[in-house]
Amino acid sequence: MISVKNVTMKFNLGIEKNNSFKETFINMFKKKQKVNNDFIALKNVSFEVNKGEVIGIVGSNGAGKSTLLKIVSGVMKPTKGEVEVNGVISPMIELGAGFDMELTARENIFLNGAVLGYSKQFLEEKFNDIVEFSELKEFLDVPIKNFSSGMIAKLAFSIATIVNPEILIVDEILSVGDIKFQEKSKNKMMEMIRGGTTVLFVSHSLDQIRALCNRVIWLEHGEVQMIGDVNIVCDEYYNKQMK
Amino acid sequence: MIKAIINNFKKYSFLMSQMIMRDFKVKYKRSVLGVVWSLLYPVLMMAVMALVFSNMFKFKVEGVNYLVYLMIGLVIFNYFNEASTTAMSSVITNFSLINKVYIPKYIFPLSKCLFVGINFLLTLIPLLIIIVFTGTPETRCIINIYYLLIPIAFVCMFLFTVGIGFILSTIAVFFRDILYIYGIIMTIWTYFTPIFYDLSILPVKLQALFKLNPLYQFINFVRTIVLYNQLPSFGNFLGCIFYGVFAFLIGCIVFKKNQDKFIYYI
Repeated sequence: MISVKNVTMKFNLGIEKNNSFKETFINMFKKKQKVNNDFIALKNVSFEVNKGEVIGIVGSNGAGKSTLLKIVSGVMKPTKGEVEVNGVISPMIELGAGFDMELTARENIFLNGAVLGYSKQFLEEKFNDIVEFSELKEFLDVPIKNFSSGMIAKLAFSIATIVNPEILIVDEILSVGDIKFQEKSKNKMMEMIRGGTTVLFVSHSLDQIRALCNRVIWLEHGEVQMIGDVNIVCDEYYNKQMK
Repeated sequence: MIKAIINNFKKYSFLMSQMIMRDFKVKYKRSVLGVVWSLLYPVLMMAVMALVFSNMFKFKVEGVNYLVYLMIGLVIFNYFNEASTTAMSSVITNFSLINKVYIPKYIFPLSKCLFVGINFLLTLIPLLIIIVFTGTPETRCIINIYYLLIPIAFVCMFLFTVGIGFILSTIAVFFRDILYIYGIIMTIWTYFTPIFYDLSILPVKLQALFKLNPLYQFINFVRTIVLYNQLPSFGNFLGCIFYGVFAFLIGCIVFKKNQDKFIYYI
């Protein structure tokens, strides 16, 4: 279903700082420091995911988890290596991509839905389900700049999870909204997983990982530390972190 | 290959229409008159220009309705100016989207060109009114059979604008200064395009040079039909099509080659 082969991802962190005349000009007079600006976010990562598997990805901040998800979902192309994905992906890397604060919730459902690749017909069919799940019926025609962050997150989650994708990519979104909504979203996620969806799941909550995943990939400094059974990897990871 | 492109286009046409609608809604959100401004704004701008150039400066072009002459140039030039300028920054301003989900990136400049294109089509309504109702009996324009050819010029103009928009939006990612530089280029371009003057006031040598200007080709095509009731010359036809197709192809190649690198630079 997903096959990642020898993927290396290199960022040049220096590039960003040098894209205007002024800065180039100033840099000309600065002392030249030879800095290696290459930042290797992923180093030779390989793994395969079979259909129906739920894979957890753990690792400390900056280990390359999100980069890996972005590469799998096609947002970025790897510097080296190959990624092969068979099936429709629903990336839930960051929710609410493309929300426009000036527009109402109703308008944003269509805009965000289109961004996620839903068709018009599909959105019209599922519109009521989305609204119902988000619990925001009475605020449908309010510009979302007046929403609380929790409300926006609820709306975004409801739009993103309305599909039944073949591959689901989730980056830490289970803690959205109030307690009631968290419970609801967790159930929704479980329901999708039980439906045979292949899942890539990033989380810092080992409890969630243990509850949901079959296998775990442990990333550290862009390298795979361990791949294997959920309990073995989680124990090892926990011990290493807490040492 | 072509089939794949068309399929991709179909798949994302809904997204594109949503983005164009978003632009409309956001643009007129808090104004009292709303979308009416789309029509009113160009009309008022035209009125000001007409006042300045034909009454204050007494510009005229022999034998034709000067107001129509001016407006055709203005409408086409403004389309190109606005569309290419907004397309230029479209990739940068949508970075938060590009960084989160996979969307073909050509959508951003293209939807801007379409959005401004819709506004352009709306301005054709007041333009048509000016064509029909103004001018002295000798210079009154007559709607003729060649009007059917005008869409060719518009399509070429659109392709040209999209092509330039692709190139500019690519450059803007790597070299932010282009945003300011382009403003100056456009000011220069305004004066080097015969919008409010006629080419015949220039020395013959310069005329040939000015005719290389792509915008002149589009403007001249429409003027020949509307003001002179004539079929545009073969060279004019060729000029429009060449610039349209050429700019579009170059734009596509430049954009496609660089689009995977965008994410590291924005």
